[in-house]
Amino acid sequence: MKAFIAGIGLLGPGLANASEGMAILRGERAYQPTALRAPEARGLAANEARRCPMSARYALDVGYQALNAAGWTAAEVATVFSSGSGDLDILDKNCRALARPPIALSPTLFHNSVHNAVAGYWGIARQSRAATTSLSAYDDSFAAGLLEALMISGDGPPCLLVAYDLPPPSALAPVRPVTVPFAVAVAVSRDRPLTPCVLVEWEWRPCDLTESGLSAPDLEALRLANPAARCLPLLQAVAQGASTRVVLPYLVDGQLVLDVSPIAGRNANTPIHET
Amino acid sequence: MDRSTAPEIGPLTLVSALGRGLDATFATLARGESGLKPHTTAGGLVCAVGRVSGVEDVVLPRILARYDCRNHRLAALALETDGFSETVERLVRTFGAGQIGVVVGTSTSGIAKTEAAYRDPAFAVTDALPASFPYRETHNVFACADFTRRYLGLKGPAFVISTACSSSAKAFATGRRLIRTGICRAVVVGGVDSLCDTTLYGFQSLGLLAAKSPRPFSADRDGIAIGEAAGFAILAAPGVLGDGGGMWLRGIGDSADAYHMTAPHPEALGACEAMSAALADAGWRPSDLDYIHLHGTGTLANDAAEDLAIAKIGCHATPVSSTKGATGHTLGAAGACAVAIAHLAMREGFIPGTTNTLARDPLLQSALVLQGRLSPVRRVLINTFGFGGSNCSLALERDA
Repeated sequence: MKAFIAGIGLLGPGLANASEGMAILRGERAYQPTALRAPEARGLAANEARRCPMSARYALDVGYQALNAAGWTAAEVATVFSSGSGDLDILDKNCRALARPPIALSPTLFHNSVHNAVAGYWGIARQSRAATTSLSAYDDSFAAGLLEALMISGDGPPCLLVAYDLPPPSALAPVRPVTVPFAVAVAVSRDRPLTPCVLVEWEWRPCDLTESGLSAPDLEALRLANPAARCLPLLQAVAQGASTRVVLPYLVDGQLVLDVSPIAGRNANTPIHET
Repeated sequence: MDRSTAPEIGPLTLVSALGRGLDATFATLARGESGLKPHTTAGGLVCAVGRVSGVEDVVLPRILARYDCRNHRLAALALETDGFSETVERLVRTFGAGQIGVVVGTSTSGIAKTEAAYRDPAFAVTDALPASFPYRETHNVFACADFTRRYLGLKGPAFVISTACSSSAKAFATGRRLIRTGICRAVVVGGVDSLCDTTLYGFQSLGLLAAKSPRPFSADRDGIAIGEAAGFAILAAPGVLGDGGGMWLRGIGDSADAYHMTAPHPEALGACEAMSAALADAGWRPSDLDYIHLHGTGTLANDAAEDLAIAKIGCHATPVSSTKGATGHTLGAAGACAVAIAHLAMREGFIPGTTNTLARDPLLQSALVLQGRLSPVRRVLINTFGFGGSNCSLALERDA
């Protein structure tokens, strides 16, 4: 099946946005996993912004980057939000409150604890009532989210995938080894967009190919440090603008195989991200 | 991608406070009884809950020992009811495990296990969970699809959909996509949510827990009761099931409120769009519906918004009812419960009543069915609306 990638959003250590990240993945700039830009929760009124948890800030930030790059209006675009663990900081606060009498939960922390809180903030921030889903497949959540976004866009409107995970607070660190924050957004459509894009031929298949990785050791370490960073081989293929096969593992028995190719006539250096 | 084909909803199972299995569920519904019972938490919170008896006695296979938690025991109980796991075994033999996917909706997964670990005296010493704690296998949001997949020996793609109270309705949407793309011949679609302190105290903090029992669509309604449930169905491409259940997933409507994290849109725009989109997807007019299974949680604002949406889309004359006074609000499992109850309504020719509700709120307009009654049921719309303004309606049809 075919789809087009029309936009990318990115935020992680040393990857302040998609433009910077793609330059690093093309090898034009050295990767320095230093400063991490604070995510922006654009579009929320002051009271909503105050309540908006860090997980949703990351999602809003990268989602907006990809939406702008694709030149799409939020209300016309379905969304998929994917996370391996959701917001563990909120979970930690709620479990502590439940363990200590007299028990009282914060209503804000309770409604922010649902896995789709991020989707709720997106809809409010972008004033979009478009179809949306929120899912997880643990460490393979990026592949699962991308599969869902490809299926949705293959059957209807363009779709924006947002994948994110944040490091857990110290109490949960022994059981959930996510060591850096990372968020990515990918805008996909069935029809060729007017903006610069790449073509992806994709299939889900039983596991028989070698998983894609990155040759640079520090970027490969980043890929393994956060479920959302499993996107990096795909982003590198998009950034390099050459025909490349990307194999993303999806549970032990399956793989999402993506054959990425530049659109004929397109200048390989034309960005599909905000500049 | 075949966009015109409706997948079939074949064999189902449901375990809830109404009973274990479809027949027990129908018997309780037909008697108009509630499965809700008074409950007091260890911390002293008094409320009604819909508890499933026998969950404590479930023993998981030894190979899945690390998955042991109330949520998975509840799931296993459902999988071993109504002949469900045997049906899946037959499908695996026919099509292969790689052709069968798993999509499960849940809101809180196995969170009760982590709640207990935070109360453990050892936690006060270390201020951290031990590395041996089975977070991935029990509490992580994906755990219940992972468990279901391993329990049934399936190898197709697996997802957890977690969109609060619309989770397992949206799971059917993902299941339909897996079938229409040809990735799966059949998908085990379901919803599982079990009792935990997070939801009891969370809904209390929002002032949304009923003092005694929920009374959906009544004038004196004062909130929800939380129930636990596990429900599963086989969703399959046409022809796969042979003599399947004869129920078809004709339409899906999916929308967001884009208004507030917990309060419904005051003009019910999101709910209207979900219901209208499901009808349009099915190619139905409002008058084609025989019955609407309400989300009907029993809070003031939710019921008013749903009633308004029903009027706005032109279904004010369609019989509607809520079963939340019988099951409690089963949160992420609400969609799976509704699909199973819709199946029973079609099978038995019976529209369930609105348990606990004595009279409709005079400010509401819908054609509320108070007491269950015999009536042919062929076309059903089910509604689910969740936190974050997450709405999903499904249009279901039985063969004529």
